[in-house]
Amino acid sequence: MSQYLFIQSQDPFTESRTRHQFDLIGQLHEAGHDVSVLLVQNGVTPARRGARTGSFDRLLDWGVPVLADTFSLEQREIDDADLKDNIGLSSLHVVIDAMLANGKVIWH
Amino acid sequence: MSHPRTLTFAFMEPPFESERTITFFRLLDAALDRDVGVRVFAYEGAVALTFARQQPHGNAVHGRDSAEEAHPLTKDWVQALQEKARARTVGFEWINCGLCVDERGVNDVIEGCGRGGPPDLWRYATDARNTLTIGTR
Amino acid sequence: MKVLQVIDQAYRTTTEEQDDTIVWLTRSMRGVGGNLMILLSGHGVHYAVLRERQPTLTLGNWRQTQPAEIPRDITELVNSGVPVYAVQDDLEERGLGDLPLQGGVRPISRRALPELYEEADQVWQW
Repeated sequence: MSQYLFIQSQDPFTESRTRHQFDLIGQLHEAGHDVSVLLVQNGVTPARRGARTGSFDRLLDWGVPVLADTFSLEQREIDDADLKDNIGLSSLHVVIDAMLANGKVIWH
Repeated sequence: MSHPRTLTFAFMEPPFESERTITFFRLLDAALDRDVGVRVFAYEGAVALTFARQQPHGNAVHGRDSAEEAHPLTKDWVQALQEKARARTVGFEWINCGLCVDERGVNDVIEGCGRGGPPDLWRYATDARNTLTIGTR
Repeated sequence: MKVLQVIDQAYRTTTEEQDDTIVWLTRSMRGVGGNLMILLSGHGVHYAVLRERQPTLTLGNWRQTQPAEIPRDITELVNSGVPVYAVQDDLEERGLGDLPLQGGVRPISRRALPELYEEADQVWQW
């Protein structure tokens, strides 16, 4: 089993590629790998409660751990209470920790 | 892997164009927080991040002169990270892709940043614990 | 160490650099012994079906003389021992599914991507 951390900077409102990116993340998760996602930049926008993003919501339904970068949230005035359920807050240190743990850290 | 506490970052974005540049620098800062050595391979537009002739400017729309505006410059961010690395006694290396430098005319780079090519990226990557690449759009 | 280079975009700077910069980067690292694979996905799959040299740019009196030769670059990459994959679903999505792939480029389905990602120690997305 491998560890994967996807740094998700692209968002489904402007990038249709995200649908396939989320599918790949889900496939790796279903295959039993330790997969998590860190939302950064406009990648945090589908995390807001009420955002209509079926492809992103499927990640949450599948139980893929999803974190959102606090700086990116703060820029967009998205508070913890504004987030959809099961999305955690994180700094970028999670990326460094995953790299040190020999995880496959992939920028989307 | 000969440097288990070193991480390599390859980056392609130029200064003043993309939010990725901010995230990239924040990642380098976070790595230093963990007392991890950092090696950067700047590719394509990213070679301008260390251009020594970057100049701050005032901003009439903001109603501020140059000193008041205190405009961010990426070369200053690199210097700040170099200083942080020194203070924490960890390495901080930066190589610009030389051909990318030449075609942009940004040869005048700040101290501590070198010139190289793709073999250096491969050497950085094979020596380091792990590597993250951030491309451009 | 084996690295999977994911090229998800195409024509980003092919005109002014006269190649794809990540294909070029990969060829250069392969030249120093790098153990690399390439995955062409998204618009990157266009490179798998190109046949001709890129068009020549002309601006005023300036005329380009050495436009990119993507098919040659991909062929030489394959010949140097770098496996090159193209996502079949992305080809079909773009109406390219019926075109022949360049010699040596291997089609791969989206469903098979997790196995390819597992083959690599690191995945470098560009």
